[in-house]
Amino acid sequence: MSPAIGVLGGGEFGRAIARTAARNGHDVILVSRALAPGSLDAIHISRDAAPLADVDLVFVCVPSHVIGLAADELAEHVDGRHRLVHVSRGLVGDSLATMTSVLRDRTSARRVGVLAGPLVAESLERGAPGGAVVGSRFPEVARDVRDALAGDSLRVYDTDDVAGVELASACVGVISLALGCARTLELGPGGLATIATRGMNEAARLGDAFGASRASFGGLAGMGDLIAVVAGDRRPDLRVGELLAKGKTAKQALDEVATNVESLGLVGRLSAYGRHVNVPTPIFDAIASVVAGTVDPALAMRNLMGRNVGREG
Amino acid sequence: MFRRFSETPLRLPSFLPRLAGPDEAPIFGWNAERDDVIATTSRRVVDAHRKTRATMEQALAEAAFHEAKRLESQHDDEAAARLGYFRGILRRIAKMSATELEHELESLTTTMAGDVAGNFDPRVYEFARHVAPRLVTAVMRPSKLPSALLASDGTSVLRSMLTIEGSVPLLRRLERHATLVYVPTHSSNLDSVVLGQALVVSDLAPVMYGAGKNLFTNPIMSFFMHNLGAYRVDRRVRTNLYKDVLKTYARETIRRGYNGLFFPGGTRSRSNLIESKLKLGLAGAAVEAFAERRVARDHRPILFVPTTINYALVLEAETLVADWLVEEGKSRYIIEDDEFSRVDRWVEFFRKLVGLRAACVIRFGQPLDPFGNDVDDVGQSIGPGGRIIDPGSYVTTRGVPTLDSARDAAYTRELGDRLAGIYPRETVVMPTQLVAHVLYRRLVHETLGLDLFARMRLRNEIRVRHDELARDLGETRDRLAALVQRGEVHATDDVLHARPSVLVEHALEVWNGYHRRVAARGEGMDVVIDDPTLLLYYQNRLVPFAHKLATEPYQRAAANIANLANVGGRK
Repeated sequence: MSPAIGVLGGGEFGRAIARTAARNGHDVILVSRALAPGSLDAIHISRDAAPLADVDLVFVCVPSHVIGLAADELAEHVDGRHRLVHVSRGLVGDSLATMTSVLRDRTSARRVGVLAGPLVAESLERGAPGGAVVGSRFPEVARDVRDALAGDSLRVYDTDDVAGVELASACVGVISLALGCARTLELGPGGLATIATRGMNEAARLGDAFGASRASFGGLAGMGDLIAVVAGDRRPDLRVGELLAKGKTAKQALDEVATNVESLGLVGRLSAYGRHVNVPTPIFDAIASVVAGTVDPALAMRNLMGRNVGREG
Repeated sequence: MFRRFSETPLRLPSFLPRLAGPDEAPIFGWNAERDDVIATTSRRVVDAHRKTRATMEQALAEAAFHEAKRLESQHDDEAAARLGYFRGILRRIAKMSATELEHELESLTTTMAGDVAGNFDPRVYEFARHVAPRLVTAVMRPSKLPSALLASDGTSVLRSMLTIEGSVPLLRRLERHATLVYVPTHSSNLDSVVLGQALVVSDLAPVMYGAGKNLFTNPIMSFFMHNLGAYRVDRRVRTNLYKDVLKTYARETIRRGYNGLFFPGGTRSRSNLIESKLKLGLAGAAVEAFAERRVARDHRPILFVPTTINYALVLEAETLVADWLVEEGKSRYIIEDDEFSRVDRWVEFFRKLVGLRAACVIRFGQPLDPFGNDVDDVGQSIGPGGRIIDPGSYVTTRGVPTLDSARDAAYTRELGDRLAGIYPRETVVMPTQLVAHVLYRRLVHETLGLDLFARMRLRNEIRVRHDELARDLGETRDRLAALVQRGEVHATDDVLHARPSVLVEHALEVWNGYHRRVAARGEGMDVVIDDPTLLLYYQNRLVPFAHKLATEPYQRAAANIANLANVGGRK
């Protein structure tokens, strides 16, 4: 019998993971206060996290701004036996704490990980071909995630560069904002490619200061995910970037997409972190100014493209 | 001849193996169990390679090839005795049957385990406990000998040199039913000796610990180390089989309940920076030992004790910092010609220390379970929110305790991160370190355009007025006191309460007369920076706090100092 799987968070991604695991033959407990019991076929919906005490693997599908609360709730029900895997593209606070570090610090669980890559809820749910990467120091966490989600068309890789996967994944959202702006301002394929590539280069440089491996930025969590954005996986960050370029404020753009967009709150903190560790991040800085409303998007793009540059590296 | 004598374990004659008494730590009965531990170690290593003929052949060939190669370049007694043996294996290995391979592996691993295994002689322990401190007193401070002889423990001079802080009463309670694994910072080859003495003074049980074979070259040290639980680690032997033997031996001793001591940084901190990237090495064996206990339904706790060893003066400071600066740390991983190997330097060093109050402070931190959780007074693991949790849950798969070396390696890395976060908090700032920090920061402040290596060449060029230095020191000390108040670090009473000018004089006096060069010296109304490398070494302990200790004018210098954590890697 396949072991039961827990999912914390009943948003779009949480529901997609729950349905995928159920399709793979697992009993699934989904903890959500928004969903009514019985509203999802073959999935047990609980309003509190207590039933998660009985499962080994829990997917944590909540946004970064509530991870502390979610971790505290989990802490009452999980112990050393649990594997916790989050799917967020966010980082926490000005120190850019990773979600895995929050889960590790605020619960008894140590076998934690992150699931990242070119995954969107809708394709995951219908089993569309794709790939993902699990970042965890514990090989068994990757094995369990594969067992829960992988199928004929979903390839799940693994790495022990947890911080690299989390930072790369978070930076993809910020680069997507830049790409949305650039597309609306008609920078063309060359401009988009330049921003995508150089944006990922900035992310990798930040990764050095983070203690991450550069390989993760060229992998599924980094370049792989970014290619999915460019290929048109309808990422909300891209749409927000387009709206900013059309003159909307960050708040107006967020209201219009009506979903959580981690990159909006993150870009300013990434830019500040770059200054703190003395790593130049011109694209992140430009988008941070646009999000803060201090620089006109068209001017920001002109300044970016007109910069004096040197060796690629 | 001398080297041969010092490298061969010298033991006192013994006729009947002694068993540990009911109130004694298991180590007092070690010699009765020693042969069994060696046999078990060998058997377990062989078992791990016994899957197929090919796995046994590969393990044996790898060991024989590397050992033959090493011995060919050694040209010593060991080479004469063993080279033929390894060459013979290489000649015969292809024709060996599976049974012969297994026999050969068993023979080789038994020899390796026998060479590694230490000894524990309670008579030597009693001697070290009661007589050695009086001898130290007699040599170092003869005037104190009468009082030392009258004192019940005879440790008056040692006690004045060594201060012990932290969770000693808790450790005394815990060691009755838990296995303790001490994981200290590592600055000097004296560390294991000093820590051993701290355990004696604190009435804590002695420990087993691995010591580099190069440390056994000093005959007196060799005798005591051989007979007080040290096991020998020959870093010249690079074969995987030997590493397996070492790790299995360490795991077996912990599993059986012998308290252990491991330096998670691996080697001495060349820079004197607090270790921040810990691989843990053999300490990982303790995590595996915990899993083995749980699989065997043995619920005795295994607890890690983060410990910092803080010196006012470091015996090998000059050699270590020079090694760090020339980035030869890796090639000179085993330093055989440093101050530790020279008796005259020892005598000079201890003479200098005897005059100091609290020359060395050992601080025992709060114990942790193998998964980084705090524990309560009886060794139960405490999770977030104060909930008692079962540490056995960390080694279960589908609810059943299992052995999984990849999982345990990941726990070991997690534990390394946790210890790296604890060490700065448990560090005790010594007067020499604080004065060195303030002086070095001044040096950086006045030479901001220079890189580290150019700065190291500035001998006798920077001078600071004594009263100005005392003022800077006072301001920095106030900031340090605030950090101490917030529990971010500790400091000696002198650092916190002595007048700044007294602290400066004290540091200058300590530096003067032991090291061949002087870090700084007084000259009229000024203090002159004589050797920036020594200053750098002593101040490096404060690198994690550089920003918080600096007033506004020194912030750029502090940023420069904070970056030292990244120069040439951790070492």
